[in-house]
This record gives sequence, structure tokens and C-alpha cells, in this order.
Amino acid sequence: MEGEIIMSREQLNLLLEIMEVSFVLDETALYLNIHPNDERALRLHNDAASQYAQLMDMYQARYGLLRNEGISRFPWSYIDDPWPWDVNFNNF
Amino acid sequence: MWIYEKKLQYPIRVDTTNPRLAAMIIEQFGGADGELSAGLRYLSQRWSMDNKRVVATLNDIGTEELAHWEMIGTLVYKLTKDATVEEIKGTPFEAHYVNHGMGLYPHNAAGVPWTATFFNVKGDPVADLHEDMAAEEKARATYEWLINISDDPGVTDTLRFLREREIVHFQRFGEALRIVQEDMNCNKYY
Amino acid sequence: MKNMDEISRNMELARAYVPFQIMNQVFNQKEALRRGTLFPELYKPYTPNCRDENGRRNYYE
Repeated sequence: MEGEIIMSREQLNLLLEIMEVSFVLDETALYLNIHPNDERALRLHNDAASQYAQLMDMYQARYGLLRNEGISRFPWSYIDDPWPWDVNFNNF
Repeated sequence: MWIYEKKLQYPIRVDTTNPRLAAMIIEQFGGADGELSAGLRYLSQRWSMDNKRVVATLNDIGTEELAHWEMIGTLVYKLTKDATVEEIKGTPFEAHYVNHGMGLYPHNAAGVPWTATFFNVKGDPVADLHEDMAAEEKARATYEWLINISDDPGVTDTLRFLREREIVHFQRFGEALRIVQEDMNCNKYY
Repeated sequence: MKNMDEISRNMELARAYVPFQIMNQVFNQKEALRRGTLFPELYKPYTPNCRDENGRRNYYE
């Protein structure tokens, strides 16, 4: 396919892990919004949240920004390919 | 306010070039029971809810729906980006192409453009939460019809994910309604 | 934690009630993303076999 951006296996795996932890956080947040006093849920959420922060720092330092508020190397990495709709997950 | 993260919520695989399927998938991009309607419906309703748990629920589910809108756009994009004009001709996507080229525009599978009349904000928490629960069931049913007509396994996999999200959202809106009802009961005694 | 289902004993007419979920087990992160939910009790996959050739659901099977 023309113009296809190929990501390294390492970058794709790290991105997938970020997506997994991010999804856990999506679910725990929706649950906690209704059940704010569920201690187990809150612990699960907070554990995932610190894991998420670490993974994001690692990814952004190695592969460029995923959020435009982050710290970038030169030149500004936020604009770099691939944008999310161009990532090829077909071998995942 | 909104923060954007350069990633999809789900890893989308599209196995074929398929403009015909794309023209059907676009129903969830710009249709009445699609993700854009859902996102704007819930985000608009936030301002007239009293209970903080309910506001948070509308806020976060509304935000998630915008991420789903991005996923649907991505499905349409991946299904058509390598399509030749010959492959587009004779499919329902040809009608989209003559107006929008290979661009993405929010309309439904029949070509009706997206409109705010696709949703309502009544300003009444009970009515609005029932609208939201109905919306989730309609979206869930639409995903089932789309799964029935999809002949691309990667697309079907993404549709199944999105359908499951509607079930979870229905549960949360149902719980939000219980909370609103509980508040109404408490108020009776003052 | 307050038992949020005390209200179920006081159900009123002309109201809809969805039971509150209480978090129990969770899928691991890989499974959760694949299935579309963290919670096994909310996982309700679509089985097209429960529909006839015209796409109508067989409710009474």
C-alpha cells in the first residue's frame, strides 16, 4: 500500500500496552463516577494510573509526543507520522 | 476542556478495500444513532444535571463517544484510502465521492447530513437519562446490523468492540438514573 | 459502603430500574481491551445465531 507508515515492532508493542492500560482507566473511571466509595476499584484505578504515566513518559521520550503538552525533542515531534488513523495494526 | 491523545481507543485492523462497506459504516459517523450524536447529546446534557456523579458520567461517556467517532472515521478512511475510482463506481460510496471526494463528512448511510435534530436535551434529568439509555440500545442494535452485513473480519472485530461499549454505557446511564431517582426520593422528605 | 440497593425494596410504579453493578473480578488488560470491557459480568457478546434468516431475534428460544 502506498505511503504506508511502518512502525517498529517495539514501538507498536509499547503503543498497544499504552492502549490497554488507557482502556482499563476508561473503565475504572466510568465505574468510579457512579461508585466513588468503592475502595478496591479506586486502588485498581490508581495502580493503572501510575503505570500509564510511566508508559507515556517512556513512549514520548523514545518516539515523540502523543500529547501536545508534552516535552519534545527538536524538531517538534507532535506533528510526526503516523497519526492514529494511519497506524497499521494488521499484524497485532 | 478537552485534551487530545494521538492514539485510537482500540487497535483497528481493516482487511480489505471496500467502499460499499464504508458507505454503510458511515451511518455511525453521521447518523442519528451514531457516535457524533451520542457525544454531543451527552456533553450537551451535562449543564442541566444536578448530581455530580451524573455530570461526571455524561462528561466521560460523551468524551469516549468522540473517540468512537474517530474510530468510525478511521474505519471509513482505511476501507477507502486505496480505492480506485473504478472500485468506487457502482457502490453507494460513489454518491459520497461526487460530493466529498475521498474526504470524510458526517452523513448517514442514506446520505442525510448530520443534524442536531438527531438528539434532544430536555433539561429534565429523568427524561434525558432515558434518552441516553435508548440511544445506547439503538447504537447497539445498529452495530448488530452492521456486523450482519460486514464481510471484512477486521472491521467486524472493531464493530464488536464498539457494540460492547454501548452495553457498558447503558449500564452506567441506568445507574445514573437510579442516583437521580434516589435524589428525588430524598427531596420528598424535606 | 452504603448498600445502594436498599432502594430496590422501595420500587415505585412508573419508574425504570437498572441494578447497580458491584465490581468483582476483572479481565486482564489485554483481554479487557479485546472484549470491550474490564468486567466479565458486563460482557455480552453478539451471537448472530440467535437471529433467524430475516435477522429477527429469536426471543423465545
